Amino acid sequence: MALKALDIYKLLPKKNCKECGDPTCLTFAMKLASGKGDLEKCPYLDPGAKNILGASTRPPIQLVKIGVGERRFAVGEEFVLFRHEKTFYHPPGIMFEVSDLWSGKEIEAVTRRVGSEHYVRVGTDLTFSGVAIRNESGDPDQFAEAVGVVEATGTHVPEVLMAHDPAVQEAGLKKCGNFRPLIYSATIDSYKPLCALAKKFGSPLVVSAKDLLSLGELTKLCNAEGINDLLLDLSFPSLREYIPAATEVRQKSILRSAPELGYPVFLDTTRYPMQDAALILGIDKYAGVIVTRALSPASSVAALTLRQNIYTDPQKPIQMNPGIYPVGNPGKESPVLLTVNFSLTYFTVQGYLESSRVPCYMFIVDTEGLSVLTAVAAGKLNEALVRDSIKKFDLEHLVSHRRLIIPGYASPLSGKIEEETGWKVLVGPRDAAEIGDYLAKEWKS
Amino acid sequence: MSENSPDSSGKIGYVVLGATKAEGGTRTVSFRLGGESDLPFIGMNTGQGSIPLVAFEICDDPEYWSPIVTSYTGDLSNDAREWAGVAEKQYGADIIRLYLTSTKRRGFDNFSSITTVMEEVLSGTGLPLVVEGSNEPAIDSDVFQRCGEAGEGERLLLGTAEAGRYRSVAAAALAYHHSVLAQSPIDINLAKQLNILLREIGVKADHIMIDPYTGTLGYGFEYSYSVMERIRSAALKGDTDLAMPMITSATDSLSVKEVREADPAALEDIAVEWEFYAALSSAIAGSSVVCVRHPKTVPLLKSAFRELWAGKMPGEA
Ligand code: B12
Ligand code: SF4
Repeated sequence: MALKALDIYKLLPKKNCKECGDPTCLTFAMKLASGKGDLEKCPYLDPGAKNILGASTRPPIQLVKIGVGERRFAVGEEFVLFRHEKTFYHPPGIMFEVSDLWSGKEIEAVTRRVGSEHYVRVGTDLTFSGVAIRNESGDPDQFAEAVGVVEATGTHVPEVLMAHDPAVQEAGLKKCGNFRPLIYSATIDSYKPLCALAKKFGSPLVVSAKDLLSLGELTKLCNAEGINDLLLDLSFPSLREYIPAATEVRQKSILRSAPELGYPVFLDTTRYPMQDAALILGIDKYAGVIVTRALSPASSVAALTLRQNIYTDPQKPIQMNPGIYPVGNPGKESPVLLTVNFSLTYFTVQGYLESSRVPCYMFIVDTEGLSVLTAVAAGKLNEALVRDSIKKFDLEHLVSHRRLIIPGYASPLSGKIEEETGWKVLVGPRDAAEIGDYLAKEWKS
Repeated sequence: MSENSPDSSGKIGYVVLGATKAEGGTRTVSFRLGGESDLPFIGMNTGQGSIPLVAFEICDDPEYWSPIVTSYTGDLSNDAREWAGVAEKQYGADIIRLYLTSTKRRGFDNFSSITTVMEEVLSGTGLPLVVEGSNEPAIDSDVFQRCGEAGEGERLLLGTAEAGRYRSVAAAALAYHHSVLAQSPIDINLAKQLNILLREIGVKADHIMIDPYTGTLGYGFEYSYSVMERIRSAALKGDTDLAMPMITSATDSLSVKEVREADPAALEDIAVEWEFYAALSSAIAGSSVVCVRHPKTVPLLKSAFRELWAGKMPGEA
């Protein structure tokens, strides 16, 4: 159970020496109570107290880092059951599977795809997260060879080593153990040697068991071996067990009613007839690492977009700074197009403007991140805002004309904007896809 | 109740869609939606209500429909009767959702054609119907009156009621005993308010379905998903004004940039995945009926639901 700040305070040395970086032991205790402090920062804590505090002051779900370098990612450290209560912080890693039965070429192709494929949405680069190398040959050398092929691509993408046999696992780790691959997976029979390997290489470890109860038992055993960077394998035989299990894990860990389940979740979607359905479940419901067969182009964009959606803050739209953004090399006679500072709107419109090849200015006003229609409906986009923004960004000196193109959906405001600003308002199309045609036809400087 | 439920005392109410002969209609099946007392797909044997259903959307004037769909269906989409039948028998839909897009034509006043279309679709399929009336407030009253009348006894779901525009739909629903599809723009308080307004003019709670408005993947879905979760949680915590089953339709799926501008060879697959990802996620967030437009999305969703479902199937006691 969660400890209150005062209970924690009672266990601290009470020297108020500030070595932890906090002004007093009490403020340090408050930080720990909120799950944001790090016990290790107090050098004077006695081992007994450390033990008691350890489990209850770390974040309710352990933060686990996978891989090294630029592509490294972290999962866990989540605090809520529903994203509207706060937000979700650490999007799941989606790892493409390769097998040590495949040819080197095939393994290389998937690895290179993970290394280079990316989609840019709303100004953010979306990529798959890594490669999961599965031991199907049963042979340590063949596994090591497959790992070697992945390493040799130089893509430095994070890896999951999927081999149950500790000897095979070790052969793989010898190739890539320095790069913090995720080890999959320890069972009640193999946890000792696998914990030893995890310790030796500093790797995080997945634990597998038949149900949540046994998983909890197993994490405690791993803790006793000194391993705390764990993930829980929830790839149970039937996919219908996933949502109930993942929800129970999330709920019990955030309530700290079962600290032994306070770890990120692992899901192997390749086990299920409907891989896409399993992937959607994992993204929506709490998975930390998801293994899939390389996705089709169609599923790829949908999966990455869904992940981006679920892991944005539902209370704060992603925003642009208001201001004037040139597209191409505009001059004094170039068109000025008004739009809002919702980043999705900005990047959509900017994409079409770039492909229209008409140099112009995008004039972004502050609608607090609302889209055009939403901002009009909410009254946030209005003539006063346009008037003030023209002044603020000194549009009058930037261009010599006095014509403003507004989005089609803002047409109800056109008369009012003209009155308020003295600029002539041209109502553009509703759909940004038609901006190119529109400019070609309507804009004569 | 499972351990996973929020501090819950509430339960989603029931809404019946469609009426069989025994129930006074002509449908071959009817569905009783609702009854969940837990989070979606949780509470295996106790709190699960009924399996999510898939509605296939058709229209009576395909000029207003996505070319991605009409190029797949070809001439079929010119005949709403046949289209409804194919959606039932070949695509495997549970429900047909008919959009009267013909009413979008400028100056539309051929109200008797609505009766004709309604009769055709009712004869083309035995499935329960959701009917989307006019898009133009000036003709609402005539259009909904015709829809309601033509479907008398069939227990339709009539839409769309919005905060500023619900009287005509509600009047037709009340007169001919249909249910009302109540849509609010991604806001739990507005959803609640609309339900209260509808109840005030006499629509009973068991005749309302909530449409929380679904922006598709990448275009508002991040908000829609959470609003569905919030509505469901509020209902489970005992808010009876929100305890109606939800229906969602990510209608933008086929027109967003990622789909529209896809490589022609992959376009259809992308369209289907875009619908599938949004629709399955909507069900995970608590939607009882998910609506789609691409024929290929229907069997995908049906098998996913069957794979995830541990509770009762429709018709089981
Ligand atoms: C997601 C969403 C929200 C999110 C906000 C998202 C955001 N950051 O804006 C939330 C949930 C917060 C929200 C709130 C509201 N919403 Co809202 N929302 C939507 C939804 C589903 C998608 C909006 C979106 O992201 N669009 C994508 C962006 C890219 O579109 P866009 O900015 O319009 O840009 C396009 C064009 O305008 C054009 N364009 C843009 N700039 C320019 C510039 C030029 C020069 C040109 C030519 C073209 C152009 O190009 C873009 C691509 O084509 C829409 C429905 C829809 N399909 O639009 C409803 C919608 C806009 N919302 C609506 C309403 C009523 C509201 C609320 C007032 C109600 C409420 N819930 O309280 C509030 C107001 C907000 C407030 N008071 O805080 C209504 C508006 C009704 C109307 N027609 O007036 C809509 C249409 C839903 C509906 N059918 O009822 N909403
Ligand atoms: S380092 Fe330890 S003893 Fe010193 S102030 Fe911080 S908590 Fe107290």
